[in-house]
Amino acid sequence: MAFQILLNFFLAFVWMFLSVSFTSQSFFIGFLLGLLVIFAFRRFFNSRFYLLRVAAVISLLFLFLKELIMANISVLKTVLKPKLDFQPGIFALPTELKTDWEITLLANLITLTPGTLVMDVSYDKKILYVHAIDMPDVDEAINEIKDSFEKAIMEVSR
Amino acid sequence: MKTNDVILQTVTTIVSFIIILFSIQLFFAGHYTPGGGFIGGLMTSGALVLLLLAYDIKTVRTILPIDYKLLTAIGLLLAVGTGAGALLFNVPFLTHAYDYFHLPLLGETSLHTAVIFDTGVYFVVIGITMTIIQTIGVSE
Repeated sequence: MAFQILLNFFLAFVWMFLSVSFTSQSFFIGFLLGLLVIFAFRRFFNSRFYLLRVAAVISLLFLFLKELIMANISVLKTVLKPKLDFQPGIFALPTELKTDWEITLLANLITLTPGTLVMDVSYDKKILYVHAIDMPDVDEAINEIKDSFEKAIMEVSR
Repeated sequence: MKTNDVILQTVTTIVSFIIILFSIQLFFAGHYTPGGGFIGGLMTSGALVLLLLAYDIKTVRTILPIDYKLLTAIGLLLAVGTGAGALLFNVPFLTHAYDYFHLPLLGETSLHTAVIFDTGVYFVVIGITMTIIQTIGVSE
């Protein structure tokens, strides 16, 4: 991934030196041509073609924005209800994510969507403890997070 | 049951770089806009304090093996040396000089000896702040 980006920049610089024009324009042209070459030889590398991963990051961003708006509306509904009939609770969320980056990203995404809040990470980094403002069903809450955020983060990192 | 600081440590690795870059920007902005050596030094030591909070003193010492007392001395030496340099040109102490130079890559740039004086201030502020905090931190 990082190697492919570095190679792409290197190819862009090579293109600038070959065409003897040191402008941002020729750098951009070289970058696009290098992208084309890397795409043609994408089976050489042991990781995926890196534009797929960039697309995964952008889709994660849009997923987060969508979840943010939806969750805000649901919290607004909970707040404006005349009756207090919601069920707050703390549940353990088992996670399959391995590295520190992924766990931090997942925890921050859960915290930034209103209604849920990460309280602690277990010492072996396998369980996140999440507080939810309204969870009638524990398994449903777990599956919701697993289906949306964890899948999207896996898309980025694997 | 130990607590797991994985989120704090991961965020600190990114945020401390951003804070240090911002402090360097403040340091160089000091001539025309608000900023300068003092606030830049405080901001840099703020980033180091964030590292101290996320990790422990030993780890930060292995990352940055700097003797902060020596840094304070170097800063004072820079400031005094800039002031004393004026005496070589038969002008009063602490008189600053500036001129426009044509540098490669940067083009027409004005270089001012006040920047060296400010670097001294910057080093002294970092050295003193970190010395105070580490001394308090180590003593049980």
